[in-house]
Amino acid sequence: MEPDASIETISMIRVAVIPISDVTPLLFRDYAAMLLRHHTVSLNSISSFYTEHQKSPFAHQPWESGSLRFKFILGGSPPSPWEDFQSNRKILAVIGICHCPSAPDLRSVADQFTAACKTYSSSLVQRCFAFCPGDSQLEDESVKGSNLILFPPADRQTQEFHLQTMVQDIAASLLMEFEKWVLQAESGGTVFKTPLDSQASLSSEEVIKAKKRRLGRAQKTIGDYCLLAGSPVDANAHYSTSLELTRLTADFFWYAGAMEGSVCALLMDRMGQKDPVLEDEVKYRYNNVILHYRKSFIQDNAQRVSPLSFELEATLKLARFLCRRELANDVVELLTATADGATSLIDASDKLVVYVEIARLFGELGYHRKAAFFSRQVAQLYLQQDNKFAAISAMQVLAMTTKAYRVQSRASIGPSNDAGKTHADGGKVHHHSIVSLFESQWSTLQMVVLREILLSAVRAGDPLAAWSAAARLLRSYYPLITPAGQNGLFNALVNSAERLPLGTRCSDPALPFVRLHSFPLHSSQMDIVKRNPAREDWWAGAAPSGPFIYTPFSKGEPNNSNKQELTWVVGEPVQVLVELANPCGFEVMVESIYLSVHSGNLDAFPVSVSLPPNSSKVITLSGIPTKEGLVSVPGCIVHCFGVITEHFFKEVDSLLIGATQGLVLSDPFRSCGAAKLKHVHLPSITVVPPLPLLVSHIAGGDGSVMLYEGEIRDVWISLANAGTVPVEQAHISLSGKNQDSVVTVASETLRSALPLKPGAEVTIRVTLKAWQLSKTDSDAAASKGMPGSSVRQAKDGSSPLLLIHYAGPLTTPGEPETVSAPPPGRRLVIPLNICVLQGLSFVKARLLSMEIPARIGEACSTQAQLERGNTEQVNSSERQADRLVKIDPNRGSWGLRLLELELYNPTDVVFEASVSVDMENTNNQENLSDNISAEYGEPKTRIDRDYTARVLIPLENFKLPVLDGSFLGNSSQNNGTSGSRNNSFSEKNIKAELNASIKNLISKIKVRWQSGRNSSGELDIKDAIQAALQASVMDVLLPDPLTFGFRLAKTSSEDINVDSEVKSCASGDSIIAHEMTAMEVLVRNNTKEAIRINLSIACKDVAGENCMEGDKATVLWEGVLSGISMEVPPLEEVKHVFSLYFLIPGEYTMLAAAMIYDANEVLRARARSDALDEPIFCRGPPYHVRVSGTR
Amino acid sequence: MSEGMIVCVAVVGHQNNPLYIQSFTKGDDSLKLHHIVHCSLDVVDERANNPKKSGLITNETFLGLLNPTENYKVYGYLTNTKVKFILVSTDLEVRDVDARVFFGRFHTAYIDAVSNPFHIPGKKITSRKFAERVSTMVKSFGLSSGG
Repeated sequence: MEPDASIETISMIRVAVIPISDVTPLLFRDYAAMLLRHHTVSLNSISSFYTEHQKSPFAHQPWESGSLRFKFILGGSPPSPWEDFQSNRKILAVIGICHCPSAPDLRSVADQFTAACKTYSSSLVQRCFAFCPGDSQLEDESVKGSNLILFPPADRQTQEFHLQTMVQDIAASLLMEFEKWVLQAESGGTVFKTPLDSQASLSSEEVIKAKKRRLGRAQKTIGDYCLLAGSPVDANAHYSTSLELTRLTADFFWYAGAMEGSVCALLMDRMGQKDPVLEDEVKYRYNNVILHYRKSFIQDNAQRVSPLSFELEATLKLARFLCRRELANDVVELLTATADGATSLIDASDKLVVYVEIARLFGELGYHRKAAFFSRQVAQLYLQQDNKFAAISAMQVLAMTTKAYRVQSRASIGPSNDAGKTHADGGKVHHHSIVSLFESQWSTLQMVVLREILLSAVRAGDPLAAWSAAARLLRSYYPLITPAGQNGLFNALVNSAERLPLGTRCSDPALPFVRLHSFPLHSSQMDIVKRNPAREDWWAGAAPSGPFIYTPFSKGEPNNSNKQELTWVVGEPVQVLVELANPCGFEVMVESIYLSVHSGNLDAFPVSVSLPPNSSKVITLSGIPTKEGLVSVPGCIVHCFGVITEHFFKEVDSLLIGATQGLVLSDPFRSCGAAKLKHVHLPSITVVPPLPLLVSHIAGGDGSVMLYEGEIRDVWISLANAGTVPVEQAHISLSGKNQDSVVTVASETLRSALPLKPGAEVTIRVTLKAWQLSKTDSDAAASKGMPGSSVRQAKDGSSPLLLIHYAGPLTTPGEPETVSAPPPGRRLVIPLNICVLQGLSFVKARLLSMEIPARIGEACSTQAQLERGNTEQVNSSERQADRLVKIDPNRGSWGLRLLELELYNPTDVVFEASVSVDMENTNNQENLSDNISAEYGEPKTRIDRDYTARVLIPLENFKLPVLDGSFLGNSSQNNGTSGSRNNSFSEKNIKAELNASIKNLISKIKVRWQSGRNSSGELDIKDAIQAALQASVMDVLLPDPLTFGFRLAKTSSEDINVDSEVKSCASGDSIIAHEMTAMEVLVRNNTKEAIRINLSIACKDVAGENCMEGDKATVLWEGVLSGISMEVPPLEEVKHVFSLYFLIPGEYTMLAAAMIYDANEVLRARARSDALDEPIFCRGPPYHVRVSGTR
Repeated sequence: MSEGMIVCVAVVGHQNNPLYIQSFTKGDDSLKLHHIVHCSLDVVDERANNPKKSGLITNETFLGLLNPTENYKVYGYLTNTKVKFILVSTDLEVRDVDARVFFGRFHTAYIDAVSNPFHIPGKKITSRKFAERVSTMVKSFGLSSGG
């Protein structure tokens, strides 16, 4: 049984090619390869070497179209016992190959060759080709005449030509030898024997039988030689004769042989053309051949020799001839029969050859699984042989089956498989890998195959193959392997690695499983922003802006959010998180793992990690980009179990997808208890040239700033350039919540510091004002009862962010301006961590109104003072109360309206509150006599913790000078007198004006607080004030229509007296009993129209009794005191003089009242009276008069 | 002889992934049967890919005898969704009609099994009921053909 057998094999001349003297295997293979090309030599080309010595027995030799065919047997082969039966099994020629430089003595070469040829007794022609002879060797005459042929050194082409000539010469010699042999055989009495024939001494009967058969056998053999000589017609003639003769002698074995020869002759005659008729003929004849081989089976010597191998060989030859997809059924049938027959083959190597051939034919047919099945049988046969070379063969055969079983080594798949696809198909998983996942479910079969590969590799002493098989087995089938088995594989890995040189790479990864976990985003300190050089705000548009999540305009842009894009910077370390899993029962020591970078522009740093049994770990792999360009990180290089392997993320991804679809046995990460992770796409990563890098540092620590509500504080932020490129552009903006809490940012400071050289530092000031905690916040804080609960709030992201967009120079110096995009800029985000603590809390506000009667005596002094210099500051020596309580000159009394704020201090520190009224913006110059930026002497109100305190804010200085209709639009409308458009328009105006003036008023009031040494701020109480004032705003703002005032009359005669009185005023003693005191009442009209009034004056004693009338009147009077009719012109004062005579010293109260006649609407509205005819009373404030006794 | 004629049945998914494979022999030859089923896919593939040549134009699902391997006969059945049913029998004289009927029932059982909302398509069939049904069918296969 021989491998590669086909129908045509019979026509091939077997030539042994043997190395002579020292030829390295490599050189030998090289020379042999040259020779192997000349397997077919046309008869045409050898005619020049051919000389017809006698009449050729090959009468019908096709000199024009025919050819001789060689089958070169490298290294030669021992003679076959079946040589007589099939002449093509004889070694008919020997070619020695010698490499002259390694064999200086040509003589000895020739001797060696002759010796070697001795073993090939059947050989007819011997030649020894000596390549590359030296000059001396070429001149060596001693080898002339021997079989040694020197190939002078020349180029390959010449040498090949030379070789071709030599082969043609050999062919011609052989042809002549064949002729000789045939002529001899026809005449001579050669005996043809096969092992089938009885070996014992022949009985006489058998001798006769053998003689009879001899002729048929001779004819068959001559036919064989005719075929070898390339003459099918001659061969056919001889075969026909032989068929006749062997049939008659029942020599079935030879009959079958002759039949085989005839088929070969037929095919040779047709010269490779196939048609269905020919196929049928061949099929028919070959079935006959098979039948007769089977017939020739002799039970007697079945133990020793059997024609079965010839039967099977014939079957295989037919199968090979028919081997086409269309005839698959026939071929499968033949092959199945062969396989069945092979089981009863005695010779193991025959069995091997049969299985090899079956596997090959199935493979050719496209039945890869069947081919793999039979290959496995081959491998098992090899493994039975128990020697190293058989094990190597077994390993190689098994390696071929791995494709069909989908357990092939990655090395055999080749890298071209997925190159270029990785980018094209985005999220889609590679088709190939998914299919292999499906097929990977034949785990029973696959594990067997891998185990056999492992076994054969160990036996063959191929540690790398063993390692790879163990790795594949462990990685793919760990769930099906018992812990003991896993340990066995672990040992196999370790043992194999011991035999491997350090740093051996294997294409098949073992453990651990490595998947991409995430790419940590740039910290907000290092964000990279695309730069738009066309715009002033170059960072705009880089981040999605605008209200739409999706805008149709951005569709065409290359950076769709689907595909993550990353930018790395040359020289700045980057990190990638990967997750490792070891689902096996032993500890995996990863000696080193680092990112595998095919683009070569990243220096990856290895780390080592140990994974306990059944565990997973997320580790950070880092590297430093070294060059601009794209980076692809397809996986990791792992140095584990003594071998370096590359683990691709994509493979694990598809494995995990398979696990979710139930195609893969188990998810290694899940079985290790790792969290479920969303599939991470490999982003496209670009490396950009170095960028500046600002590092921020908040003075006083980067922790959050604790501020009480309303507190104002400066924060100093220092920015340093930690990069290698200067910052040339920088812009500060705000983002986040509570942006208005940033009062000022000293962006000028930063701008003036540009360009910020590497290493340079700049400090900018940011003024913060803490916002109010919302109601719910404070409630929540209160309910928690924990002061710390407000700290938590700072982390809710309520703090504003300071964004600094900065960038280096547009072009790198020294390089010409490129058309490509400028290097990107960066964004530094500085969170201003403000932690707002609850400060003073506002409880309520109310408006207090009180009237402190003025003293007539004092009034005059103040009056005088006021009249003398309106702008003069009030003397600071005066009592504070006096300063607080200003006397309204128009009102003439100590009428006081105060806004009382109740504040509660829930904190654990002490607050001090002070009220200030900022008067600078006032325009009520006329009214407000003194334009004070009053602080009322900083009367600080101390509010202890958990105490409530009240702060008073005087509201006196806000009165408007004139009472006119404008402010009373509301009420005038109520009166129904107006309804026109014009009116309503003005009403609107009026309202707005009123509101404006209220706001104006409120904004002037500021309640500042201070706590401790360095926190201070302002209470936000605008709303509260407004609410408190809303009801009585008119009372606060609007003056009364009439104001009344009393004073001591100044008569010209009493000028001096008055002066003295002024003095006495100061001393406090002004009016003396039992003296006539001249007084005057001043009535001022605050409206713009003249008012007619009926004025009356009353004086009351301490008991409140009217003391001017009745029996017990204690005050005498002169002049008119009641029913005084007068008309007060608009905005003017009218004086009415009278005199009083006090009988008893003491306190008296003067009151003026007036009834207004014909009150107009304005007055009515002011008085809030509805009835038209109702008289309006206007009462002045009480004035105290102190009457002292006699001097 | 009539009992245990069928030694192995298998359901193979459209990607040639085994969905269900069950042998009914007493000996430990499941690996061998796995190999037989696996190898028979060659023929199924061929027939599925060249429907014209193998005369499958008429929506015929029964593929008939796939190939006699060693001492077994392998029959195949191909659904419209390219799910394959494989039957391995030791009886060398199985009537096509019987095989056809068997596959019909097998198909129904498979449909019932995969109609389970908890079954993930492409995953191995783990339904115990399906297994019971199949084994009943396998047992009754011999009986019905005998009678």
